[in-house]
Amino acid sequence: MKRAPFSWSMRIGLGILAVYAAVALLALVWTPHDPLSPGVGDSYLAPSAEFPLGTDRLGSDVLSRLMAGTQYNLGIALVAVSIALAVGSLLGVIAGYYGGPLDIAISRGVEVFQAFPGVLFAMLVAKAVGPGVINIILVLSFVGIPDYVRLARAEVQSRRNWPYAEAARMVGNRSWQVAFRHLLPNSTGPLLAFTSINAAFVSLVTASLGFLGLGLSPNTPEWGNMIARGQDGVMTGEWWVSFFPGLAILGMTGAFYLLGDALSDLTDPRRRR
Amino acid sequence: MTVPLLEVEGLSGAFRSPGGEMTPVLFDVGFALQPGVITAIVGETGSGKSLTALSILGIQPPNFQRSSGRILFEGRDLLALPAEEIRAIRGRRISMVFQDARAALNPVFTVGRQLADVHRLHHGGSAAAAMCRAIEALRSVAIPEPERRARQYPHEFSGGMAQRAMIAMAALVCAPRLVILDEPTTGLDVTIQAAIMELIAELVAERGLTACLITHDLGVVAETCANVVVMQSGRVVEAASTEAIFTRPRHAYTQRLLAASLLEDSAEPVPA
Amino acid sequence: MLRLLLHRALWALPVALGVVTITFFTARLFGGDPTELYAPPEATDELRAQIREKLGLGDPLLVQYLRYLGEIARFDFGISFTTNQPVGQDLTERLPATLELGLIGLGLGILIGVPLGVIAAVSRERVPDFLVRGITLAGMALPQFWIGLVLIWVFFVILGWLPGPVGRLPIGVPLPEPITGFLLVDLALLRDWEKWRLALLQLVLPAGTLAFAMLAPIARVTRSSMVEALQSDYIRTAVAMGFGRRAIWFRYALRNALLPVVTLVGVLAGYVFGGAVLLESIFGWPGLGQYALQAIESSDFAALQGFVIYAALLYVGTFLLVDMLYILIDPRMRT
Repeated sequence: MKRAPFSWSMRIGLGILAVYAAVALLALVWTPHDPLSPGVGDSYLAPSAEFPLGTDRLGSDVLSRLMAGTQYNLGIALVAVSIALAVGSLLGVIAGYYGGPLDIAISRGVEVFQAFPGVLFAMLVAKAVGPGVINIILVLSFVGIPDYVRLARAEVQSRRNWPYAEAARMVGNRSWQVAFRHLLPNSTGPLLAFTSINAAFVSLVTASLGFLGLGLSPNTPEWGNMIARGQDGVMTGEWWVSFFPGLAILGMTGAFYLLGDALSDLTDPRRRR
Repeated sequence: MTVPLLEVEGLSGAFRSPGGEMTPVLFDVGFALQPGVITAIVGETGSGKSLTALSILGIQPPNFQRSSGRILFEGRDLLALPAEEIRAIRGRRISMVFQDARAALNPVFTVGRQLADVHRLHHGGSAAAAMCRAIEALRSVAIPEPERRARQYPHEFSGGMAQRAMIAMAALVCAPRLVILDEPTTGLDVTIQAAIMELIAELVAERGLTACLITHDLGVVAETCANVVVMQSGRVVEAASTEAIFTRPRHAYTQRLLAASLLEDSAEPVPA
Repeated sequence: MLRLLLHRALWALPVALGVVTITFFTARLFGGDPTELYAPPEATDELRAQIREKLGLGDPLLVQYLRYLGEIARFDFGISFTTNQPVGQDLTERLPATLELGLIGLGLGILIGVPLGVIAAVSRERVPDFLVRGITLAGMALPQFWIGLVLIWVFFVILGWLPGPVGRLPIGVPLPEPITGFLLVDLALLRDWEKWRLALLQLVLPAGTLAFAMLAPIARVTRSSMVEALQSDYIRTAVAMGFGRRAIWFRYALRNALLPVVTLVGVLAGYVFGGAVLLESIFGWPGLGQYALQAIESSDFAALQGFVIYAALLYVGTFLLVDMLYILIDPRMRT
């Protein structure tokens, strides 16, 4: 069964992400209340007309913080996967195309890093480098790189000796031109599909680090931070502080997964029946 | 003329695309299979011959939609039977041999186990007894060392050996009235093709089976089949005895097919 | 087959070495001066020097690294300054709690996830399929710690059906002397059924959370590999031979479809047995994950290094196990 390029899951995924992006931009210029200042309302106000999602322990507006958090969670995910995609494909193409000792070195390195439990490794490095947006982005892209290396390597290696690669070499392309201009573009589909799924994973890890207090500074309205701030409230019945950021994560992560699925349906010939 | 074992009448249908458009692929297909002999259905890829054969057992691709037609077998219309009854006919009364037997056998079970499972499905009995029958069946299709072979997995079989095992399963273990062979020799070496065809002819002659051979290769037809049905683009263009087809082909397409197979088969140039 | 396993086991060695090396240098490069961690704030310079001497921090980094390797080879991970116990002992004590939770959670995840995947595959593009896909999408897209919090909120705070997140037994109920370390097993051996019931109730929410998180990827992979298996030639053969739907789904297709699931379960097991850090933290579960978190919070690098190596080795070990299992169930791997 052949699928239309814009399947339902792709439309839904892209649609949701567009909404998130719009909210992130909107939050730069307007939120109902100041997301960073405490005491815009009383502590732990239940959802109401003035505070649609309630207030947290410090009396900050949950909705405003949620909106302001979008730029962190979406931004971190997008930048981190872009870096991982770029660096990972570069290393993967080199390993896959040139082979030899370079390949062995890169592949072995990948195996070592993959033996670390991903989230834990992120926690260890995040703890070591300290909180901050740039640090978190670097940590998360670093954790993702091995997967991209493996994927790009396998893709390029399987095509290295195909006739069109031979042809590209025969007409005088340099090896790096063959690798990057002729082989890599053929792997765009699988790489992009994986990137989308990786973005979902990165969003979850960002929230996890935030929840543990290893991510951004405590008052940053990052969603994991927000859930952590509401954790005590859950025990005493003030569920809304933790609840809504979780839904925000669900929406964004789910959209990335849907998009990733749609992309791999499009590019995986075995699934394209 | 004797009463046919199976008759296909006015079978028409189309493939439905995901978007809902229908592409007609079968047009009023009709033919009869005489008992006790091999009937060949010949045509090139896309002529609808395999689709027709799969429809007999109700295992056509799900996006194929039949618009009309009947398939009469032992007096009943297979296309009108409820799912349970058609299942009771599969294997037991009509069974099928597929192209590429190595893929058609389950990769994670031994060949012997698969034959024994089918035996137990149709004849019951203990697992040990079924395995004995499976080994016997493998021996009957001239697989050397059947006891050892039965313990091996499909990927350890050559294409020809796997096809023999497949034939043992479909024609011997199942013990059907009719066996449909869908391109059973395609992809095999020429010498092995001949041996497999010989085996099929032998089984049909010895066990009173009826067979329907789907093939694109007229060359394999001449020596083994009694009747030939020629299909082109979803239509039956000619149906006659093998002798008639080879000596006085009436349809232009049959003549072309024949000419092509003669060219292919003869090492020397054919005298004009 | 044996050679393949040996090959894999030998492969694990350099990986383990790499893990140890990276952990050591990450900790040393970013961790600051370990002396500060051991020395009380009011310590004199003399005392600090003594501590440095004792920890061997005066030596070149390479010497320290080699010494560290030697210690690791003897399973000596150093002393944790938060518990004042050897890290190896700490980890061994906490492993059963993690394994108990992990095995039950993963087990439930498999028991529920595989059938869900099969149901989705055989009803492809129909209602049950969409339901299962919705569940798995939610299971993968929600952070585990949030699922845990919501379950606590519903079942403890609102309904009051299940006990609060205070670890393996309610507060005030002492843990028995460990026999196997697996609480449910120990209490059964002691025939202390009242406590056994309490322990089981404590386990329901964390195990349920873990199971939900595990069943999502399992159901997803089962579904897609089952769909692929159902479209295969050998399933068409089975249909043509007259097998019924159930036999075809469960005996012929599932056996093939489970191959990728086994690999996935290996990955998940490596992750779970390494301590589901956030889950343990939410439920106050005294396992490896919580230990690691405490180590991170208090910058206890000896404990942290020990833990990461432990987790990585568990991961590599699980993978070896999966390879063996794979060879057992896929005959094509044997030749």
